[in-house]
Amino acid sequence: MSRSPLFLDDVNARQGLFHRRALLVGGVAGLGLTALIGRLAQLQLVETDRYAELSDHNEFQVLLVAPPRGLILDRNRVVLASNRPDFRLLLDKSRVGDIDAVLADLGSLIEIDAPRLARLKAEVADAPARAPVTLAEDLSWEEFSRVNVRAPELPGVTADMGEVRVYPFSAAFAHVVGYVAKVSAADITKTGPNSDPILLNPGFRIGKQGVEKAFDLQLRGRPGEKKFKVNSRGEALSSEPVAASPAEPGAEIQLTLDADVQNRALEAFGADSGAAVMMDCRSGDVLCLFSAPSFDANAFVRGVSGPDYRALAEYERKPLFNKALTATYPPGSTFKTLVALTALEQGVDPGRTYTCNRHWVWGGRTWSCPEAHGTLDLHNAIAQSCDIYFYQLALSLGGPDAMAAMARRFGLGADHDLGIPGQKPGLVPDRAYKRRAFPRDPVWHPGETPSMGIGQGYLSVNALQLCIQCARLANGVQAVEPRLVASVGGVVQNPNPGFAPLDVDPAHIAFIHSAMSAVVAYGTAAKGHVADLGLGDVRMAGKTGTAQAHDYAKGQLGQGEHGAWSQRDHAWFIAYAPSDAPRYALSILVEHGGFGAEASAPKAAKIMRAALLKDPEIRARILSPPAVAAASGVAARAPQGRQA
Amino acid sequence: MTLGAISRPGERDRLAVKLTHVDWTVCLLLTAIAGVGGMVLYSIAGGHWSPWAAKHLILFGLCLVATIALATVDLQVWFDLAYPVYAVCLLLLLAVPVIGHATLGARRWLQFGPVQIQPSEMIKVALVLALARFYHGLDLDQARLSWRLLIPAALILVPAALVAHQPDLGTAILIAVTGGAMMLMAGLSLRLAGAGLALLAAVAPLAFMFVIKGYQKARLLTFLHPEADRSGAGYHIIQSKIALGSGGLLGKGFELGTQSQLNFLPEKSTDFIFASMAEEFGFLGSLSVIALYAAVIFLGLRIAAMAHSHFARLAAAGVIVGFALCVLINGAMVMGLAPVVGVPMPLLSFGGTVMITMMAGFALVLSAKVHRYSEVASGSGALL
Repeated sequence: MSRSPLFLDDVNARQGLFHRRALLVGGVAGLGLTALIGRLAQLQLVETDRYAELSDHNEFQVLLVAPPRGLILDRNRVVLASNRPDFRLLLDKSRVGDIDAVLADLGSLIEIDAPRLARLKAEVADAPARAPVTLAEDLSWEEFSRVNVRAPELPGVTADMGEVRVYPFSAAFAHVVGYVAKVSAADITKTGPNSDPILLNPGFRIGKQGVEKAFDLQLRGRPGEKKFKVNSRGEALSSEPVAASPAEPGAEIQLTLDADVQNRALEAFGADSGAAVMMDCRSGDVLCLFSAPSFDANAFVRGVSGPDYRALAEYERKPLFNKALTATYPPGSTFKTLVALTALEQGVDPGRTYTCNRHWVWGGRTWSCPEAHGTLDLHNAIAQSCDIYFYQLALSLGGPDAMAAMARRFGLGADHDLGIPGQKPGLVPDRAYKRRAFPRDPVWHPGETPSMGIGQGYLSVNALQLCIQCARLANGVQAVEPRLVASVGGVVQNPNPGFAPLDVDPAHIAFIHSAMSAVVAYGTAAKGHVADLGLGDVRMAGKTGTAQAHDYAKGQLGQGEHGAWSQRDHAWFIAYAPSDAPRYALSILVEHGGFGAEASAPKAAKIMRAALLKDPEIRARILSPPAVAAASGVAARAPQGRQA
Repeated sequence: MTLGAISRPGERDRLAVKLTHVDWTVCLLLTAIAGVGGMVLYSIAGGHWSPWAAKHLILFGLCLVATIALATVDLQVWFDLAYPVYAVCLLLLLAVPVIGHATLGARRWLQFGPVQIQPSEMIKVALVLALARFYHGLDLDQARLSWRLLIPAALILVPAALVAHQPDLGTAILIAVTGGAMMLMAGLSLRLAGAGLALLAAVAPLAFMFVIKGYQKARLLTFLHPEADRSGAGYHIIQSKIALGSGGLLGKGFELGTQSQLNFLPEKSTDFIFASMAEEFGFLGSLSVIALYAAVIFLGLRIAAMAHSHFARLAAAGVIVGFALCVLINGAMVMGLAPVVGVPMPLLSFGGTVMITMMAGFALVLSAKVHRYSEVASGSGALL
């Protein structure tokens, strides 16, 4: 072994110190490595679940697959709302640098006019970064394939096929079925069903009106998922998803409506403004719930432009309102049926007579009637709709409370659960109401009773309530409730509702029935055979009504059935048929229609015919009328009613 | 071989005998580390040898042969070459700002025809050589505390400052700390070392405010709050932690590391290769790799401790300290314990110059083992 040139002591000291210091350095390194192992254990053993989730989140991108929206069907499974394929173009904002250039390129392939271009730019600018923007919808196959071929030159633009809602009867069901429209920023909530990311899917629409809105969640279904593996730039590595769960289609909803009856209502109204509601007076099924004029629901699915929407919203006949539920007016003379029933239930003799000279002075004021009816009993007072009879009859009932109670028993003044929103309950006044609503004049004045007797004054009702009243009158036994939704996703809704008893003397009901038959046979709806069905002995029974558009008592000059449209009175008509075995009840409102019978009774007859002709039992009866039935008629029944 | 044969004069100098004294355990450990590196590089290339794995393994193979060959070179040769090598490396380092090749905003590379070299890596080994050479002739008192210590201080700080200026803060710190550790092991007074550290602690905030470049500040701040900058500098740390954490106990499996395969992990083949490895092989895999490094460090320090010449001791220890620092800094960075600085994981990361200089360093370590009984004559080789 060679010797060190330095002094041995020094060498040993140097070596000794080195050993100690090297041990120190090694120890520090060892501590450092131990710290690293500790950290590894923390990341890889303790917190591994959290990081595994983050890694998954990195690795996969989940595309939501919009479920097909549930169909809406009528009582005979006629499609009222379905879905059709829609070729559309989507823009992935995050992959496009110069959006203006892409839109300009696209303009050479499909037609984009200047206002649409401006709107698209605004939409793209407003859209959240992660959600694709719909650039165009409803492309023709030619346009669709043209864009598809050029797709590589249009970064971020993809052509795809979606589904869009379609309403085969564009206007007939626009209010009751409603419509879907694009999701607006205001629709999206932080929590609850409208926080679902599917709402951000391009072309996704939610229900905004009617059944579409009320049953939006059921109709929506559950979105499916396609999980794609992506790289750090978000590009899918394969067009095949690594995992996919199919979308669950929305529930099918069957309504009690009848498409033929509803379409007949659309026809019958033409340009008139008003509403028609028809119910099965045994089951309460709503066969028709129509508001006129209507609008094209499909236009709202595409998106209505500002000017178009303003035109609809500002039109004086208010097409956007569902008048069957929201238009409340005094029921007019249709209310006389309930006043008469109140009187009968109080024991008033139907043979009581009053004399009508067109004018009647009472309480320091002159009350008038459209004509001088002479001396009438109750039956004829209903048939002829004599106001002066009912002013006095109402006064004899001792104020409003008995009439109000009867009105409520027949469904007025209350909301009825149809399953769709937006009803106005109207008003049935009584002494308590007066106390509540008029703190400065809380007393029911006797002078307010006669007005109520002819269905004017504070009273207000909507077409649905009048239809319910009519159905209950026609039924006579049960307080039928309307049913609009027959089944949701195959589950029958309210199959056996068990209606409350009406608790009215059947003899009194029969009396009202005969009086309503007389209205059509020789009363206010007989002139010009406006309420004739033309179905042999299957006849309608009804009652006309006129709601004053202005309060004549306050000195305003009413135009009645003449003058400017907006000044004319509203026409009501309630009817049921067949008059001898009631099956269907309806109510018709014609806004500013003038005198009830002429404006509304023909519409009622048309709509009623449609329903009767579809009913197999009644069809059989019309085609082969039984000999006995031919002998029985209104004339034969009317006296019976009076005797009862 | 018998003891008698070894003790025969001249017997130790025979090549065949020298080869038997090469520390094959260390060679095996290094091969294992480089082999793991090759596997990971193969995997993250999507199961391909190119662009990294083949190059990495071939270069390692060549380096290993060269390292073993160099290990048989007499320590005296290293000793004599120490200052010239240091001088050449320093010149190259000086040349970097002038003719250097800029990548990613930093000028770190020199281009010689097809060959790219990184003088900041080479200076690490050169510094170890130069410091070992300096301290070999110095007695303990002077090594403890004397004016002559200004020389090693200059040897350390000049290249460290140049590298920091490139800017490559990580390597600069590495050079400074390696040099400091060598001075400490050579006998530096602990009081002086403590004073130096205290001074550093006092100067560091000032340096942060006035010397450190904007992006370096950003990196340091990002390290403190990685969530504040998810897409920028914080992205590296977040993605690296996700890669490590999602690996779990057993890993996602070979070629199944999504973070690196799908490019979420940046610099997956170089600075963040440990995260790629840990994602695929899990805690057990990363623990094994750390164990390999620990074994190399332990064996290296033992070789240093066994060497008879002070030069060999310090040279071997200096190389091992540099190696260990690389492992600790890179590990801490990948695991989110330290800011992102450009320090690779030795032998695991892909990178030619780093591999060559690291293996040149191990040539010194192996040589210290082979020549552990040899003394080195001081004074020869001039300069001091």
